[in-house]
This record gives sequence, C-alpha cells and structure tokens, in this order.
Amino acid sequence: MELLTAIAIGILFAIGIFQMLRRNAIRSAIGLIILSNAINLFLLSTGDFQGIQPAYVDTAVELRSDALPQALVLTAIVISMGGIAFVLSTLIVISSRYKTSDLDEIDGLKN
Amino acid sequence: MNSSQIVILPITIPLAGAFIILLLRAWKKWQGRIALIFIFSSLVSSIWLLYRVWRSGGAVVYQLGGWIAPVGITLVADYLAAFTVLMSQLVLFFGVIYAIGAKDKNIEYPTFFPLFLTLGVGLTGAFLSGDVFNLFVFAELLVISGTILTSISDDRYGVEAAYKYFYISLLASAFLLLAIGSLYISYGSLNMADLAMRIQANPSKPLLPFAIALLTATFMVKSAVFPFHFWQPDFHSAAPTAVSAMLSSIVVKLGVYGFLRMTTLLFVNQSDELKLLLIGLGIIGVIFGGLSAIGTHNAKRMLAYSTLAQIGFILIGIGWGTALSIVAALVFIFNHSLIKAAMLMLAGSVASRTNVKSAAFEIVTGVGRYMPFAGALFFIGSLALAGIPPTNGFINKYLIFESGININAFLAVLLLALGGMLTLIYTMRAFQKIWWHPYPNGEQVKATGDRLIAPTLLILLVIGLGLWAQPLIQISQITSIWLQDPINYIEAVLGSSIAQGFGGN
Repeated sequence: MELLTAIAIGILFAIGIFQMLRRNAIRSAIGLIILSNAINLFLLSTGDFQGIQPAYVDTAVELRSDALPQALVLTAIVISMGGIAFVLSTLIVISSRYKTSDLDEIDGLKN
Repeated sequence: MNSSQIVILPITIPLAGAFIILLLRAWKKWQGRIALIFIFSSLVSSIWLLYRVWRSGGAVVYQLGGWIAPVGITLVADYLAAFTVLMSQLVLFFGVIYAIGAKDKNIEYPTFFPLFLTLGVGLTGAFLSGDVFNLFVFAELLVISGTILTSISDDRYGVEAAYKYFYISLLASAFLLLAIGSLYISYGSLNMADLAMRIQANPSKPLLPFAIALLTATFMVKSAVFPFHFWQPDFHSAAPTAVSAMLSSIVVKLGVYGFLRMTTLLFVNQSDELKLLLIGLGIIGVIFGGLSAIGTHNAKRMLAYSTLAQIGFILIGIGWGTALSIVAALVFIFNHSLIKAAMLMLAGSVASRTNVKSAAFEIVTGVGRYMPFAGALFFIGSLALAGIPPTNGFINKYLIFESGININAFLAVLLLALGGMLTLIYTMRAFQKIWWHPYPNGEQVKATGDRLIAPTLLILLVIGLGLWAQPLIQISQITSIWLQDPINYIEAVLGSSIAQGFGGN
C-alpha cells in the first residue's frame, strides 16, 4: 500500500509537470490542477501511510492516524481551489481577448 | 485583556476593516477614508507592538486559543517580526493615502480597498506567524489579494501580468507545501521554534536538504531573486500605482524575511551553502538588475528592475551573516521600502497626467515641465536610491560597504559599488527625460493627476531618516544581536525549561 501510494503520487507529479509545460494554456492550467492534487496527496501521506486508520474519532482503537496532515490538506485544498478558480477566470479573459489559447500567440507583454 | 494579545491587533484590525468597507460599497467616497482610519489604527498598534517587544527585551508571544506551542498556532512578535510589521504598516498607510488621491478607474471598484487591506493582513500575518503552515496560508492571502488588484488595473496588460504572476506563484506555493510536508514527515512539527530545536538535535534526516532547497526556491520566487525574477517587471509595472508601490517595496520583503528566518533560526548549522548562494545571487542581482533598468523604456518598469538590484544588496547582507551585515540588511529593508514606494508613486503620478496613463518614456517625456515639485521629490528619491548623503539611502549603502570591508570581501564590495553607480545612471536618465526634455507639441497634458501628498510625506521621511538615522540603526542593532543566537527565539516561544535541551552553537 505504501509503495502503491508513492508510485501513484509520483505518476501524478509526472503528468502534472508534463501538462504544465505544454503550449496550450488550458492544458497547462489542468496540469496545475493535477500537480496541486499530487501535492495534497503527498501532504496527506505524511500523516498516515496506510490510508485506512481513522483520525482521533475512536479512542478504543490503538492505531490512530495523525490528524494534523488531514487538517493541513483541508486548508491546502481550499486554497488551491480558490487559486485555480482565479487562474481559469483570468484565462477566460485572456483567451477571449486574443481569440486563442496558444501561449506563444499571447504576447502582449513582450512589447 | 491578556497583554500578549496585542500581537494579533495588526492582523485583525485591517481584516475587520476589509469586511466593514465591503459593506459600504454604496458609499464609495467613504470607503477610502474608512480604510485610512483602519490602516492608521493598525499602524499605531504595530508601533505599540514594537514598543512592547522592546520593553519585554525579546519577544511577545501569543498562543492562539490558549493552545501552548508547539501544539497550537503561535503568533510570535520578536524584534525582526515587529520591525518588519511596522515597516509594512507604515508603507501601507501611505499607499492608502495615495490610493485615495489617485485618479485611476480601478479605485472605484468596490473591492479595491478591502483587497488593499487584506494585502496588508497577509503580509503582517506572514511576518508574525510562528508556524510554517500558517506562513503559507497568509502568504497565499497576500498573493491572491495582490493578483486581483493587478488584474483590475487600468493597464491593458494587467490581466496577463496577473495570470503570469499567479501561475508562477501557485508553483511557489506548491514548493512551499512540499517543503512543509517534508519537514513534517521528518520532524513531526511545524512550529518554527520546535522545528529549529528538532533539526539541531537530528540534522541527518534524508528529506532535510530537499526541504531547504524547496524553501529557498519559494522565497526566491517571493522576492524575485535573479533566476526567478521574470514575472516581476511585468507584474509590478502593470499594477495600479498605489498597488505597485506596495508590491515593489514591502511585498518582496517577504522572501527576504524568509531567508533571514532560514539562516538565523531554522537551518543555522546547515545554511553555509545557502549563504554562499545568497551572496552570489545578490551580486548577480545587483549587476543584472542595474543593467536591465538602464535598458528599459518605461519609468515604472525601470523601478521594478531597480528593486531586483536593491534586493541583491539585502541578500548579500544576509549572506555575509555577520552582526554588522545583518544590521545593514535590516536598515536596507526599511529604507528601500520607503524610497521605492515614493519613487513608484512619483512615476505613477507623472503617468496619470498623460492621456494613455502609461509611464513609457516616449509618452512621459517632458511631462515634468508641468509638475516641478514632483521633479524635486523624484530627484531626492533618485539620490536616496543611489545612496548619496543627505538621504537615508546613504546610511544603508554605507553599512553594507563597511560590513563587506570588515570581512575583507573586497571583490564583492567593488562589484556592489559598480552596481550602485548603475543606479545613478538609470534614475538620472529618467529624471532627465521626464523633467528636462521639452514637451512635444500636440496632445495636452492633463491639468490634474494623482495627488502628491503620499510621496511628499515619504520623501520627508527619507530625508528625516538620513539626517537622524540613530533610532533605526539602534533598533536594527538590537534585532541583529537578537538574531545571532536562535536560542532567544526558541526560549521565547517554548519557554526556557524546554529550550534547555537545545545544544546551542
């Protein structure tokens, strides 16, 4: 399970970074979403490798997972959601101005 | 009231102000004035905070909700935090004054002043936070407020610059989260004092160098250090003037603050390579920033590149790491904020007189003929930026050179002196173009522009701190002594009984 989690997070990282480097602005935004999910999973895995033990809900259970990373991940998810919503909305403004989503043609700042 | 609750005031006052002003969106005239009242009271509270820190001889620590560190979230106002908070509140106060008198259309947006205040909340909170994750949250608040303020700019390319910056900045926060995760998995704590202790006790964890590298990258993006600077000139020159004066002066200091915390608290024994890197990148920044500023065709963009160079000076001060060079870096941090905010406001008010509201040299050439007072202010600001005596810029440049000569770093000092001369070239060139060249016939210069109250007061402070620099140097000296030994910070946060187990240096 530990290995599986690690490999899954690694694959998500790889896909996210590959997509981020694409020329298409929408693809790169989706890459950002995948990357932030990979990081959130990594943060979650710092607390519990198994993914089956609950946090402090049942005191009878000897094995408990660390509750702190779960709280951190909750915060990180909210922040990344807000950020990605903003990225996508600015993307709408930019792509409607240039009538393209090709990052090479969005070159207003170059001058 | 618990006396240590004062620490939370510079965060909660602007936050409360943001919500109240949002409710007043029907009364646009009052939004700015009420924002001014809130930011002024938070400035007063941060002066009081610095006084309290000074009286207590170290740090005022507030444990949120009564959960004692390292369990709960801790707000720590030590000398460094209180000092930077005072600096940012001071500049934000002048920023609000400028925004009230500005003619930009975006000031009319009902969310302009609330976002301006949350920018202050994010910055103050990040400085005061004693917890790495809390720092991340406040830094995100700062980034989001700054980006939205830029995307509503009157500048046509505001949205593009905002997109570019936000994309890079989301990556930087990804780095920060990865670093937080690696530190947590290795040491099981996120409180900075507790982390510093645990890292000292067991520095051989495999993820530690990884975390240091990621944190370095994060703070390099935040303060636009050389290889990660490419978003900064676009972002700072496309922002509305009142906002770009904040971004280029106090917001970039967040990364500098992060480096100070890394080298003096978190990774004291692991930071030799980091310090070397900071010196190298600082020198590159000074030369590269200066040369790029000479090559620009826009006054605001020139000042944004100049920030790159000035941050270089500060990084070298941190990189040398001696008591005197930290003093120099702290004085530089404070003075550069005042100078750069004033200069950007002046460039913005010149641009506000033209019809297209651009600070490009071909448009603003000769506009200065109609605003001689702004010219005098710009001239004094240029002297301060280049470090020429009657201004405060001289004090910090002098301290940097003295600390360099004290440790026999002559080559670095020589390169810094060359970089400093570049400052004089580009500011004087801008001064010449705007104030000496005749105005080309054709379009009329607008009779009124942005009000000059805020830059006037800032330039008065610049001269005042140049003639009477003693208090600022003294507080920097106390801060530098406080930063020399991380045990001070750890004792203040965790209590002396726990800190006794700390090995010391």
